Amino acid sequence: MPKHYRPAGKKKEGNAARYMTRSQALKSLQVNLNLFRRLCIVKGIFPREPKKKVKGNHHTYYHVKDISFLQHEPLLEKFREIKTYQKKVQKAKAKKNEELARLLLTRQPTYKLDRLIRERYPTFIDALRDLDDCLTMVHLFAVLPASDRENLEVKRVHNCRRLSHEWQAYISRTHALRKVFVSVKGIYYQAELEGQKITWLTPHAIQQVFTNDVDFGVLLTFLEFYETLLAFTNFKLYHSLNVKYPPILDSRLEALAADLYALSRYIDASSRGMTVEPKVDASSSSQSNDRAESELRLAQLQHQLPSSEPGALMHLVADKEVEEDEETRACKSLFKDLKFFLSREVPRESLLFVLPAFGGTVSWEGEGAPFKEDDESITHHIIDKPSAGHMYLSREYVQPQWIYDCVNARIILPTEKYLVGRIPPPHLSPFVDNEAEGYVPDYAETIKRLQAAARNDVLPLPGVGKEDLEDPQNLLYAGFMSRTEEIEAAENKKTMAEREKQYHEELKKELKKEVTGSVVDDVAAPVVEEGEGEESSVPDAAQIAQDTADMPTLMMSRKKRKLYDAMKIGQKKKSESVERIKQRKKNLKADQ
Amino acid sequence: CPLLQTHTFLSSLSLLNQTPRRRERAPERDSEMGNRSKSSRKGKKAWRANISTEDIEDFFEKSTKDALSGGNLSAAPSEDLFHVDKSHDIPVKWKIEKHREKVLRCDSVLKKNPFVQVVSSSKPKSKISKKNTNVVESKTLKQAQKNVDDGSVMTDLWGDDDDDNNGEHEKNPRKIWKMTSTIPAVEVDPAGCSYNPTAESHEDMLAEAVAQEMQKVYKAELGPEPVPLTIDGEANIEDEAGLLSVCNRIINGKSAYFLGVDNGSEGEEEADAENESSEAGNKKLARTTKRVTRVVLNKRSRQKALRKMETKEKLKEKLSKEIDSLPKILKEIAKDDKEKQNKLIRKKIAKEEVLKIRPPRLGKHKYEAPPVQVLLTEEMTGSLRKLKACCTLARDRFKSLEKRGILVPSKNIRRSLYRALDKKKYLLILGKPFGATSDKPICHFPEKCAESALKFLFRCSVVAASKYKISNYEDFMWVTKDELLAFFPEHAEFFNNTIVS
Repeated sequence: MPKHYRPAGKKKEGNAARYMTRSQALKSLQVNLNLFRRLCIVKGIFPREPKKKVKGNHHTYYHVKDISFLQHEPLLEKFREIKTYQKKVQKAKAKKNEELARLLLTRQPTYKLDRLIRERYPTFIDALRDLDDCLTMVHLFAVLPASDRENLEVKRVHNCRRLSHEWQAYISRTHALRKVFVSVKGIYYQAELEGQKITWLTPHAIQQVFTNDVDFGVLLTFLEFYETLLAFTNFKLYHSLNVKYPPILDSRLEALAADLYALSRYIDASSRGMTVEPKVDASSSSQSNDRAESELRLAQLQHQLPSSEPGALMHLVADKEVEEDEETRACKSLFKDLKFFLSREVPRESLLFVLPAFGGTVSWEGEGAPFKEDDESITHHIIDKPSAGHMYLSREYVQPQWIYDCVNARIILPTEKYLVGRIPPPHLSPFVDNEAEGYVPDYAETIKRLQAAARNDVLPLPGVGKEDLEDPQNLLYAGFMSRTEEIEAAENKKTMAEREKQYHEELKKELKKEVTGSVVDDVAAPVVEEGEGEESSVPDAAQIAQDTADMPTLMMSRKKRKLYDAMKIGQKKKSESVERIKQRKKNLKADQ
Repeated sequence: CPLLQTHTFLSSLSLLNQTPRRRERAPERDSEMGNRSKSSRKGKKAWRANISTEDIEDFFEKSTKDALSGGNLSAAPSEDLFHVDKSHDIPVKWKIEKHREKVLRCDSVLKKNPFVQVVSSSKPKSKISKKNTNVVESKTLKQAQKNVDDGSVMTDLWGDDDDDNNGEHEKNPRKIWKMTSTIPAVEVDPAGCSYNPTAESHEDMLAEAVAQEMQKVYKAELGPEPVPLTIDGEANIEDEAGLLSVCNRIINGKSAYFLGVDNGSEGEEEADAENESSEAGNKKLARTTKRVTRVVLNKRSRQKALRKMETKEKLKEKLSKEIDSLPKILKEIAKDDKEKQNKLIRKKIAKEEVLKIRPPRLGKHKYEAPPVQVLLTEEMTGSLRKLKACCTLARDRFKSLEKRGILVPSKNIRRSLYRALDKKKYLLILGKPFGATSDKPICHFPEKCAESALKFLFRCSVVAASKYKISNYEDFMWVTKDELLAFFPEHAEFFNNTIVS
């Protein structure tokens, strides 16, 4: 008798009772595989991996409760109804009764996923948390070619386009965008909404293809759910701005494929309590986008607005007070007084989204643009060609990467390296935490220094004061755990002191209007110079660190000592890897 | 025992009482007996000793019992035996009251329900004056919202978020199972995948990509060689012998790839040979063995007992030793336990680590990671315009879904379809095409589908035979994809792109 023999008719227990295979589930639900897949996707039910696979390793298992949850889904009935209806249509067609078939098709039963969204995301925050996949998918399908074979209709592609633009318009309007990273795959964006970090990926402006190893039917089902989800999310977000949701766009701008611009105009207009202006005067270059002017207009409107809608305006003002934390303000004012013009060859969609999100004013080459290329007030011309034809002296000609790097660094970087025809410095990923990684690329350090310099104008560097003298005593009394931190802090202080000197040096140089050829060389020089001076400024930190390193190890219990050793090994490993990267870099330089 | 004494006394008393009665009845019985048996009085039954006295004894027993239990119950009046319990009875008056207490449904409906809010016909003025400002504000707000709302079909799903979402969350009978996968939905590529990466990080990523490729190569190298589809030999086979030899060669060729099978059969043969040899040895042994005498048997038994004793002693010794080393054993056990626990924890952590990069095994096929999207060194130009970007984001999404355990990984779903399409045959017709000017028959597709060649190519193999009257055409043929390309070299590109994989 086998070990787990169970007589027929006896109740099952354990994994055998808790899980069922997919084919069993199909049988119990009385649906076909396609329908089952769709149901699972919209209901958010996924296969699981039981500890013991009763039917074998090559089966897919579902939890019994999940399946019974599906069984009670009203959508299941609806799907069945649709199926029977389709049969009717087919029958009519087979009998050549075209009239009846057409009539039947007009009255087809449809289903809605609203309730499911509410069920899966009970609160708005839940929905925001799960928006990553949704946004990426919608952005992807917005650029896919409509295809008969994949059953992808033009209507759906347009809907995806509309939804993605609506989302982008909201993000740029509320200045919620935080990070941008241009990779080979596409452009990663990260926004922060209600404390949730939302990351999504948009494809580059090239043709996306249908590959063989992808089941587009499944993806389309996902898309169906995500479209609904994003529509409701957008609805909620737009209403929080007091804007009518399915936005009515200017058809002319839409035809010119400038949806995003049209949307931002729409939001601007309607959130100020105005109705949308039906006509767009393209020639009037100084539109309401000019910041100072718009502020003035807002003030005027506050007077002009009819008394019937004071609530709306109050709502708007209150909203602004709540939403604007420090970071948002920083993002809003990054490109505040700058005016950009995009050349034909730069990625327009992305830049039209990013620049307004950070407070910039944008125009582009083409019809319907807010201002023309020959506008005198343009400060930056974004160009991605080896050389610009006609150059205006009043503006700077920079490559698009400059914008992304500025956005990630939150300061306006010097444009020299990004000028037309030059190879720009490396585009660093803002998603990598350099401190945690232990290795900081050269350019990241340069940016850091620039950031600090920008901050230094306002407030002095914190942390270098009289506490340094008291530190030894503190260190002696500190326990083991805090000890390492203290050492780090001491080292940090050392480096900070070092850096501060560098900053001052640099600032002096800048004041003297010295033309710096390359920042990297300059950095190297002061380090060598300050070699002796630095030790005198923070003389005993290293000595004390050494002393304190021995002291607690003697006092520690064995367990803690072991842990400490393990930690040291980990640190060593990390430093070794960093060392390796540095070595590699040296080799690379030597090769060049 | 006083009870027993009384019993005997009573019985004696009753005996005294009863004796005269028995005497009186005796003649009666005699007469009866006379009635009963007229034939003979000499039988054994007529003897005095054989006359049964059962009824008398029964009576005595009964009477003694009655006397002991305090009298015959059947004689006692029922009032003495039973009494009516009235302690739980409800007085009639109260009963009526209770009945009256019950409220009829028609009455209860009219009663005020605490859960239903009263709709007052007019608001009391005092309230408005108190919260005047607030009310007005909210009213206007609502109005604004209403204005905004017109024209939209959608409603705010999370509109009543603030007050009752928590309650509903608790009320929800089934907790919706959230994905336990720790893999984020959108994984951000590492820094080396930037379109303009730093040299160091780029080298790192390249190394990873190369490693991925090499892994595939090594796998292919280390795996078993595939069985060849064809085996080279002479093409002309004339006689049966030749055919046989070719067959043999094929079998031999194939058998080389099934080494396991061959080895197995050889092993069996060897085993057979061994069996035979051992049987032969047995026969020899049987011839040479001597008879076992009593002496030898005794000796053997003695030795056996001795050995048994020895082992017993050894066991005892061992046990005592073990008892001595008990603390040591305990320590060992503790150590083992600790190790086991550590192992368990390590296993758990390792599992979590693995889950971070690899999805659970959900079906027949393992998840295969998509290739890393990184630029080659010569492709790095530093210009967004010249970037050779990835155009297979759909696959990336699909793989992400698989990686998070939402979809079951499957093996190249569509490849099989495409292979089938490659092998599919397409119909070509030799005849006069519709609207052709020249009389010369040419090869072409059937007209009806000529404009939508795509649909045609998918369907014609099924439909053609029934739908097109073959007799109308001079000739027709079924061609494969390659032949089709050969027939229409000018359209080769079109076919390649649109129809056949």
